[in-house]
Amino acid sequence: MIEDRVICVDIGSTWTKGAVFKLSHDRFSLERRAAMATTTDYLPDGFYAVLRHLQPDCNWHNTESSPLPVYFSSSAKGGLSVAVVGLVPEMTLQIARLAAFSAGARITAAYSYRLTRNCIAAIEKSRPDILLLCGGTDGGNERYVTENARVLASSDYDGTIIYAGNNMAVDQIRDLLDSRDLRISENLMPDFGQLNIEPVREAIKSVFLERIVSGKGLDQLIRQFDTQPLPTPLAMINLVDAIGKNIADWQNFALIDMGGATTDFYSFAEAYYADSGTIMKGIVEPRLKRTVEGDLGMRVSAESAFETARDLLLASLEGSQQSLESLRAYTEKLVANTSHLPADLAEQSYDQLLASACIFHAVMRHAGIIEQIYTAKGPVWAQSGKDLRRINRIVGTGGFLAAMGRAGDAIELPFSPQPDVEKIPLLPVNFEYYADPDYILPLLGSLAEKYPRQSAAAAVSYLTRLHPNEEEVKEFSHSEFTDA
Amino acid sequence: MTPVNIVLGVIGFDCHSVGNKILDAFFGEAGFKVTNLGVMVSQEEFISAAVETDARAILVSSLYGHGEIDCAGLREKCIEKGLEEIILYVGGNLVVGKTPFAEVEAKFLKMGYDRVFGPDCVLDEVVELLKEDLESR
Repeated sequence: MIEDRVICVDIGSTWTKGAVFKLSHDRFSLERRAAMATTTDYLPDGFYAVLRHLQPDCNWHNTESSPLPVYFSSSAKGGLSVAVVGLVPEMTLQIARLAAFSAGARITAAYSYRLTRNCIAAIEKSRPDILLLCGGTDGGNERYVTENARVLASSDYDGTIIYAGNNMAVDQIRDLLDSRDLRISENLMPDFGQLNIEPVREAIKSVFLERIVSGKGLDQLIRQFDTQPLPTPLAMINLVDAIGKNIADWQNFALIDMGGATTDFYSFAEAYYADSGTIMKGIVEPRLKRTVEGDLGMRVSAESAFETARDLLLASLEGSQQSLESLRAYTEKLVANTSHLPADLAEQSYDQLLASACIFHAVMRHAGIIEQIYTAKGPVWAQSGKDLRRINRIVGTGGFLAAMGRAGDAIELPFSPQPDVEKIPLLPVNFEYYADPDYILPLLGSLAEKYPRQSAAAAVSYLTRLHPNEEEVKEFSHSEFTDA
Repeated sequence: MTPVNIVLGVIGFDCHSVGNKILDAFFGEAGFKVTNLGVMVSQEEFISAAVETDARAILVSSLYGHGEIDCAGLREKCIEKGLEEIILYVGGNLVVGKTPFAEVEAKFLKMGYDRVFGPDCVLDEVVELLKEDLESR
């Protein structure tokens, strides 16, 4: 059967959103949307409510067969929590970070070299869903990973351990951790400087599937619709990948997904241009990269975002009537009441300032740097991290940026680096800004693996190009994404 | 038997890549697992590579005359990073001018390098010496 119509549902922490897409002329087009409050105790209730709204004439409770194919994703508390343990910080530990983020996970802690008693105590206390243990090239260092496995074996940590280190140490790791839920993956860095993150992504994804189906009724949905849900950020990664690989003008782009708790930054671009005249220090990062900033967000993380961005906010407020103190008070109010919507123009401008600040810090952490080093033969530029300078399109999505997009406002992206810094961040220079006004990208994301070309074509067709303007802040609706 | 891991590279801001490629091929042929970091390698990169690959020796090349300043302190950094046992070799045009090789050798031995080689050393001999040194540790 040719699936000419499909339903996609994304179960978020507050809203369960859905859409019917029709496949025609090699791309999906949106037919209908719906959103219902997520029923956190039993997720299928909200899920079926969305389905009924989308297709009222179907009997969704006939569990034998589904009238339309249904794909879905779930944010499940922001994804799995992962603690990463590597060897050298800028080598295997950094690669482990990239792998966990690109699997749609949240990183709760990162440890290099040897796990001390303090590290173990912190792991036992925070109890991450997964501990990603790696270190050593294949045939390389075994000492650290085996020593770390030994202390983990005698700890009270009872989560899943994914081993992705030196393949020569696998037997020892198995022996040491045989009483644990241990998964063996391929080495993240089989040879020095060589990245191999795909197997770890798969391993994390399969743990996610096992974890989220237990409880809250997702297992029933999986059985009925015969489909495996994705973590929402992984759906987004798949979509970013599909766009970059299939759409001609979108081979160098970034996507910002800013929520109440985190700011996620995705880039699809070559990380290092050998012809740029710079030399590379450390690993060459992958073309597809995601980073997650847990301290930068519009609501739950508003206070920590304020603290992080204090200097930038102070500079932005210069010459305005508003004070840093009143902005700080506003962020306190947001944390106390995370569903707060701006009551007046001042609060709207605070939201925009906060959003710009979150984006600025998220891109600064995502981007690499170049620095000039003076040598006997003259100055030389050395790069570390990812080069984002050739990114020519940036997409803004997530509740706030989608709402701004609906109002036709481009967020101000303060990407001009400060002068007189030794380390110059490799930020996008010339780019067009696109908004996702219908907040449709997460939904298309769950189709991206099976229909990369068609979902990518749909995604770019629903994005709206916006031009930054210098006008006063306009009124715009913050109402949630809904048809209902 | 699993091959011995060694790390190879040209230190500092030195871009001489021909000799580096010859060494890579030669030590590979001689049965070593070579992690070749190429040209313009910092001390930190040598050490990171040696830690991750569990290398038993680091072979440092320098041809542009600034070897002394580039190479100083590598032994101490290795010890700091837990590589107390690692064998350090250095070779090339290590200093500018016509300093007698014996003086150059003495200087680099004092810095903590186990063996020092001039630009005209015979690689077969270097391999034999490395095997001897590996056995004695």
